[in-house]
Amino acid sequence: MSGAFILAWMVLLLPLVSTVLISCFTLKNDKLSARISIGAVLAGFVMSLLIFLSAREAGESNITWISIGNFQATLGVKLDNLSALMLLIVTGVGSLIHWYSQGYMKGDRSYSRYFACLSLFTFSMLGIVLASNFMQMFIFWELVGVSSYLLIGFWYERPAAADASKKAFLTNRIGDFGFILGIIMVWAATGSLNFAELKGVFEANPEILGATAGIVGVLLFCGAVGKSAQFPLHVWLPDAMEGPTPVSALIHAATMVAAGVFMLCRIFFLLSPDALQVIAWTGGITALMAAVIALQQNDIKRILAYSTLSQLGYMVMAVGVHAPGAAMFHLTTHAFFKAMLFLGAGSVIHALHHEQDIWKMGGLKEKMPATYKTFLIGTLALCGVPPLSGFFSKDGILAAAADFRHHGNVFLFAIGVLAAVLTTLYMARLVLVAFHGKHRSEAADHSHESPSVMTGPLWILVIPTLFAGFLPIESAVNHVAGLNHAGDHTQAPLAMAFSVLALLIGGSVAWSLYSKAESDPIANRLHGLSTALKNRLYFDEIFNGLIYVTHEAVSKLAEWIDRILLSSFIVKGLSNVVDVFGRGLRLFQTGSIHTYAFLFVVGIALVMFFVMGGVL
Amino acid sequence: MNIAASILEIAVIGLGIAVMLADLWLPREKKIWLGYAAAAGLALILFGSFSMSGNPATLAFGDMYILDAFALFFKRFFLIAAILVMIVSIEYSPKFQTGKGEYFTLVLFALAGMMFSASANHFALLFVSMELMTITFYVLTSFLRNQLLSLEAGIKYLILGALSSGFLVYGIALVYGTTSTMDFATLREKSALMTDNPLLLVGLLMIIGGLGFKIAAFPFQFWAPDVYQGSPSSTTAFLAVGSKAAGFALLMRLLFVAVPEITLQWEKLLMVIAGITILYGNLCALPQRNLKRLLGYSSIANAGYLMMGIAAMSASGSTAILYYLYSYMFTVIAAFLIIILVMKHTGAEDIVHLAKLHERAPGLAGVMTLSMVSLAGIPPLAGFFGKFLLFEAVIEQATVQSSYYLLAAVAIVGVVISLYYYFGVIRTIYWGKQQMIPEDIQISPASKAALWVCSVVIIYLGIMPERLMQAATAAVESLKF
Repeated sequence: MSGAFILAWMVLLLPLVSTVLISCFTLKNDKLSARISIGAVLAGFVMSLLIFLSAREAGESNITWISIGNFQATLGVKLDNLSALMLLIVTGVGSLIHWYSQGYMKGDRSYSRYFACLSLFTFSMLGIVLASNFMQMFIFWELVGVSSYLLIGFWYERPAAADASKKAFLTNRIGDFGFILGIIMVWAATGSLNFAELKGVFEANPEILGATAGIVGVLLFCGAVGKSAQFPLHVWLPDAMEGPTPVSALIHAATMVAAGVFMLCRIFFLLSPDALQVIAWTGGITALMAAVIALQQNDIKRILAYSTLSQLGYMVMAVGVHAPGAAMFHLTTHAFFKAMLFLGAGSVIHALHHEQDIWKMGGLKEKMPATYKTFLIGTLALCGVPPLSGFFSKDGILAAAADFRHHGNVFLFAIGVLAAVLTTLYMARLVLVAFHGKHRSEAADHSHESPSVMTGPLWILVIPTLFAGFLPIESAVNHVAGLNHAGDHTQAPLAMAFSVLALLIGGSVAWSLYSKAESDPIANRLHGLSTALKNRLYFDEIFNGLIYVTHEAVSKLAEWIDRILLSSFIVKGLSNVVDVFGRGLRLFQTGSIHTYAFLFVVGIALVMFFVMGGVL
Repeated sequence: MNIAASILEIAVIGLGIAVMLADLWLPREKKIWLGYAAAAGLALILFGSFSMSGNPATLAFGDMYILDAFALFFKRFFLIAAILVMIVSIEYSPKFQTGKGEYFTLVLFALAGMMFSASANHFALLFVSMELMTITFYVLTSFLRNQLLSLEAGIKYLILGALSSGFLVYGIALVYGTTSTMDFATLREKSALMTDNPLLLVGLLMIIGGLGFKIAAFPFQFWAPDVYQGSPSSTTAFLAVGSKAAGFALLMRLLFVAVPEITLQWEKLLMVIAGITILYGNLCALPQRNLKRLLGYSSIANAGYLMMGIAAMSASGSTAILYYLYSYMFTVIAAFLIIILVMKHTGAEDIVHLAKLHERAPGLAGVMTLSMVSLAGIPPLAGFFGKFLLFEAVIEQATVQSSYYLLAAVAIVGVVISLYYYFGVIRTIYWGKQQMIPEDIQISPASKAALWVCSVVIIYLGIMPERLMQAATAAVESLKF
């Protein structure tokens, strides 16, 4: 095992060690717990950096966990450009957020538990990133679900948080169900779960899945729909904002929700063209829908949450138009600036004593200069202002969608541009309302800048936000995914022109509407639509209704089957029969030694009779 | 003669004699230390056994005795079982008014019998080793001399055991009469040529009957519940684990090494025995309220599951048996140890005595739950993986002979039935109504260690079966499938 693999194993296992140490020994010692947790992830970051910079060759190191017959369950670490990049994002952003959490969570009575959960999450996420096979990926996939459940519901005494955590977990499970079905189908068809082997199999015989290729692709995509919160399973992500803000930054902006996109890039080689069509449209719809909803949200974290949904839609759409490199590129830049935006929002919320309504903020520019500056840079990056990182990565996606000769599509491109306009609009609205103008509440008036433990990470995140756009991520990832026409989109003039145009339109509309606004001007003009948007297009209500109706019907049916069929006939009947047998057999067990000796001899006689008589 | 091959048995007997002699001089209140000394001695012998190798096989005593990987696997199994049983016995020994030292000594001699039986390559050694074990058990079962139940158990075991030994000897005589050999290797060649000789077949069936008595397989199982219930709990534990395993070791060597050609004709017989034993044990266990009796029936059912591995007549079936025996040992010994700890002063071992155990001793409640869940075969515990292997072996055969599917189906029915009574125990632990003033529970460090070991192994074997699987596969190779 070469050095890089040893490092990778350590990166993976350190957070697990940290979780165990904190939960078993240091729950009472807050400071030590935080140090252990931060130490684990920081060490992981340093090692990830070494792995990233070392002249590593792609490969994997596996250990066999269970082998039954010819089925082998292995745990392994797989290193290539893709996983090395994700390692860096997860541990890098993770480190900053761990650090920031020290300030944000100060004084919480479950401080240690928070860091234990955070470490557990880091471990799970790294397990997905490094997974060398589907089975391991699925196990860690579920672990991410569990740790996210623990963190969203961290303040479990608040009903909203408890509900949100359940909602997130269950919604994810729906997607995961499809995911595991897809995995089983892949295994049934190829007999292997290892990514490298599968890739070999698919290169040798691209038609191996036959007619089921499309179905398998869509089923596997279900996993990403759940984790990366794509339409129609996106409903859990906005609610997940009930968790502590650093958690929102880490899990629901930079890492966990990226897992779906990462997974799609990892298995890109086995997605059929039909499946990719479904993926592209799902992504496009999510991008546009979420951007529309974000326009009329007033909670600062929810705006960011819908913005995350929209950007995830972009990434998924990029995978769908055969540009996994562009997807990973945007994932990377987005991880940095969105984490920064969330941490900035956290800083605001912290300063305003948990006030999250942007209409009750205002004028924070002077009170919180550091937060404002970093937030502004993040916003500009998100809107795609050149030459910030977001410009390049978003441009990559638009260019792929505009590549009509290959896999692009004019409608998807239009959706992408429209979503870009809306992105600028809602982000400018957020900045103008929350940071400019006058103080609209007492809390805003008395606010002051957050401590340096919180602003520090913000400033550090500015660096990648400014410069990550110059990294050659796109071609590196496309190479891993087996595509070679990489990187030539970025010069597409059409995409770039539209991208800048979108920026200008969105920006100017926002300025004219919100630069002096005291309340939302379009809310009155759009009445019905605005209410619908505020209510998130009634997705939750529709789902509730749908679930209620089907649930009632199914449960009525189940009750009938249970009561009439199972309970009366089968269970009672069977158990009575079994019981009678049990009691009947006891009659042989008289306790009398004569009987026993007699039965023993009868037994031998019977065996002989049957065997010699040729019956047995 | 190659005495070195049987060094392990010699060491165990030596240890037994040493304990017996020390018993003469030790004052009464210190006798318990004999148990600890015996356990420590066994641990040393177990440690020493790892310097031995069964590859290639060594023969000794005029080829009667064989030391191969299979024998060595079982010897280690018996040693581990005896160490745990010794700790169980120490915990139980306050109930013996006299003769603690003797009890420990007898456990060691029974162990020697089991270890010899693992090496039996000749009917004479098969019989002698079995008698060494069985006769010792006659004493061990009736060791509570002032309790009627225990005496009754002893008498029953004695008379029925003698009966089964009678059949065994008769069978051996018939086999010798027809083939003029008692040596397994020679018998392997000769029996292949006379697979339809009725006298030979009758003789072998009688031997199977005698061995069936040891493993408590249908229709030779009637003694088991009464003896399990009446005997001292430490004896019951040893009987359930050691005696049964010895029976299986002998049965496997007889069927697969001595008379493989004839065994092949008997797949239906073996399947029927396995199926009925499973159903009988599980059905009878359902209405039981006495914990030891319940475990007695459960041990019959488990003999049935193990018989599935024999009926599969394949290397994977035998590997599964070896694996399953290990999982069974740790779960059952943990259960008996808890029974002893919780019911030190009550006369009868009723399940209700476990009520609300989780409030009095959460650790014990946890281990008992673990062992019941493992017995029921729920993943990811040892019992699950053992059953999984057995089912896999049977279903493997089903591709050739479809009646194996029927056996698997019967076994699944048995497993489902067993869930009811195993979970009945768990239900009583957590939700049962307490009927009497609970005794306070004291656990000695040795017992605590034993319980820890059992629980860890139960979980370990369920999650990381690899190691033991490899050992079992290597051991089965000496059965020459």
